[in-house]
Amino acid sequence: MTPERWQRVEEVLQSALDRPRADRAAFLNEACAGDDELERETNSLVEAYDEARDFFEESAIAQDALVIINSDAQMHPGREIGPYQIIKHIGSGGMGEVYLARDPRLDRLVALKVIRAWLVSDDALLRRFQAEARVASALNHANILTVYEIGQDGEIFFIATEYIDGLTIRERIRAADLTLKDVLEIAGQLLSGLEAAHAAGIIHRDIKPENVIQRHDGVVKILDFGIAKLLEKPSPETTSTTSPIIRTETGVGVMLGTIGYMSPEQVRGLPVDERTDIWSCGVVLYEMLATQRPFDGKTNADTLVTMLEREPEPLFGTRAQTPAELRQIQLVIDKALCKEPAERYQTAAEMRTSLEKIKTELEANKQTGAVAISTQTKVKELRSLAAQTSTSGFRRAIVMTMAALLITVMFAAAFVYRRYRASTIPPVVAPRSYLQMSEAERLAFVEAQEQRISNMMGDRPVKLNNEALRVIKARVDRYAARRNSTSLKPDEENLRDVYARAPEYVPVIARAFAARKIPIVVAVYLPMIESAYRPCYENEIGAKGLFQFLPGTAQRYGVSRAEMCDVNKMAPAAAHYIADRMAELGDDAQSMTLVLLSYNRGENSVRDSLRQLRETDANYERNFWTLFANRSKLDQTFQKESAWYVPQFFAAAIVGENPDAFDLQMPALSSFARDMSEKR
Amino acid sequence: MMSVSASSVTQLLFDWQQGDESALKKLTPLIYDELRRIAHRYVQHERNGHTLQTTALVHEAYVRLAGQEKPEWQNRAHFFAVTAQVMRHILIDHARRRRYLKHGGEFRQVSIEEASLMSEERARDLIALDEALDELKNFDPRKSKVVELRYFGGLSLEETAEALEISVMTVRRDWRAAKAWLFRRMNMEQSLEFKLQLATPKHEQPEG
Repeated sequence: MTPERWQRVEEVLQSALDRPRADRAAFLNEACAGDDELERETNSLVEAYDEARDFFEESAIAQDALVIINSDAQMHPGREIGPYQIIKHIGSGGMGEVYLARDPRLDRLVALKVIRAWLVSDDALLRRFQAEARVASALNHANILTVYEIGQDGEIFFIATEYIDGLTIRERIRAADLTLKDVLEIAGQLLSGLEAAHAAGIIHRDIKPENVIQRHDGVVKILDFGIAKLLEKPSPETTSTTSPIIRTETGVGVMLGTIGYMSPEQVRGLPVDERTDIWSCGVVLYEMLATQRPFDGKTNADTLVTMLEREPEPLFGTRAQTPAELRQIQLVIDKALCKEPAERYQTAAEMRTSLEKIKTELEANKQTGAVAISTQTKVKELRSLAAQTSTSGFRRAIVMTMAALLITVMFAAAFVYRRYRASTIPPVVAPRSYLQMSEAERLAFVEAQEQRISNMMGDRPVKLNNEALRVIKARVDRYAARRNSTSLKPDEENLRDVYARAPEYVPVIARAFAARKIPIVVAVYLPMIESAYRPCYENEIGAKGLFQFLPGTAQRYGVSRAEMCDVNKMAPAAAHYIADRMAELGDDAQSMTLVLLSYNRGENSVRDSLRQLRETDANYERNFWTLFANRSKLDQTFQKESAWYVPQFFAAAIVGENPDAFDLQMPALSSFARDMSEKR
Repeated sequence: MMSVSASSVTQLLFDWQQGDESALKKLTPLIYDELRRIAHRYVQHERNGHTLQTTALVHEAYVRLAGQEKPEWQNRAHFFAVTAQVMRHILIDHARRRRYLKHGGEFRQVSIEEASLMSEERARDLIALDEALDELKNFDPRKSKVVELRYFGGLSLEETAEALEISVMTVRRDWRAAKAWLFRRMNMEQSLEFKLQLATPKHEQPEG
């Protein structure tokens, strides 16, 4: 819009707005005197004004107050806190942010942990924190992060510590390159640091892979000493979150730790001593070896129950066939993870000595070449080595591992799992032409296939009622009709043409999802190929088609306006766009339906509707059909959308996975995704 | 904490107004702190069941920063302008990062930070508003400024008028026209998004 044009538009708009609502249309008609374009323009603005109501009447400061409060992660480089100059933000902790900073007095780098003032508004709490931090700073040990200074600058409290350039144990576990020697080294140094702390009467209480860092030269440092005690009081901002940080009010004070690493007595809020750190070390040791935690559940509550009531699945077992060293490691873990503190190692030194003995033995074996396992053996290979020599005990461990993966909500696991299922479940019905089936046969086919697809997607199969079956069948019928060029509707494409693009696009979609560790659901392949990559055609507003999104959005995904009709540009962008939206919905949405609903209606409104659903079915997120079946309980728009999307997805999946039945000489769509992963 | 004296804040505001961009750089961290303090006080008051006008808080911030009980209006106007600008910058920056934030992965933990993140919907709205404001600026820079001061700076009609040296009536009219235009501009994008359907030729959309 040019300034001149806008001036004209605004003039009319203002005059219209000065008039009573009822007179405005007539006024515009008269004022625009035959200038249709002007009338249309001003009319839509008047309408927009009416609709806008309190749109941004509340200031952003009020609306986003919490975001602003928490946005000190963006503290500017160059800014000074106390004597320190911020260089960059390097991490976030529960209470504050960690920055790399420079101490100009000594010209050295420090890690500066900045604590939010409003989280320590309680003076007593602050005094205690300072006292404890002082004790921690008095600890002088090679395996404990050195605290240089605790200070205050206005409302900001900070702790300056030595800066460690290295990887946390969490990062090392993720990298999956730990050797047995690394694990024993790390555990040994960790215990040695704890030994010194315990001797000084300090209990860490929050030992976990994130709090242990290994410098590039191999030296291990324990972080966050004593600081955990600062985190005692939940801030108002955090009480409603599902943080893994648990806070338990108890008679002896307030406890804090991380679920999954806390000892039973810590979780129960009983008094704790150094043996709680021994437990946490046992958990970390287990995790380094197994790359999964010994106690893990779908929810925090499940994890707690598992931890309090069950023994962890043995890593290597203690059978005679298992190599002696692995059996010994198993024994160390078992002892560290005794529920009763009195049955654990009583001191860090004791546990360290046990591990050192194993290390020495392994090194001796290496010299004699006695066994297959050495300190250089990669942790990830250990289990297969154990599997060769062990018996069903270990195999059971693997099966249990699989089961554990399945029940977690980890995307990565679900991805592998779903693909695994997809490759092994045979079609329920022998493929024969859908077009030649009777109505009753078609219904039976749809029903059987729906069960199979649900299985493939890891959803709980549901016994469909006839209504749902008929709706789905109608959609499948429509797809079937699209095999015949003469029965195509104006907007439709022959199914064969859609399929022809599958080898090119399914891998793109699958990769975009895999990159974000989202389980791909076979149900999305066909709809995505079909709509995302439909040749571009312009309408009055711009490009059309679901994934030919708006110029601004496309641009953010690296596609310029000119390229919006370029299928090769749009395909990956669209897949990434959808994958991002799914990732944003996180654990709450594993189904494409939810993503699309959120896409159309905004995440918040979807969450509200889903909250209602949760009361009906705890598995609602993973179940398309729950959404469909409960649609009468949802608001109107949601109702319509779920009634449309859910059957549509299943129909698409049925067709996509049974191309033979629809006379498409092509493999099932999911096989393209599989081929892609095998090639990698 | 304040390493810059009150008089130099006034000087910085002046320098910035004179076109010295490095002054803005020095001001930003200070304003940043003030904004967080404002937000924090706002939340505290809300929790206690009181609603506080953000405009009063922005005022206090200025007095604290510039150290004047009765500040010269010119400095104050500059302060308001820079506050609004910094606020817009912070929020848009946050919204952008929010949109790219990747969830998932093993052992994902919900931190306090994530818990108080902006909603996806809000992030989208803010980015759309930001883009629309830039567009508006091209053909009506004053209206764009009015919205920035009022919406991001938390100012009242009167203060916006003061800051821009225009009448309250003009602010009022600018505000409503801008509101209509922005709302339509932003909605165009959203209603389009809403209309888009997955592989749905028009005639196959849900009935009713």
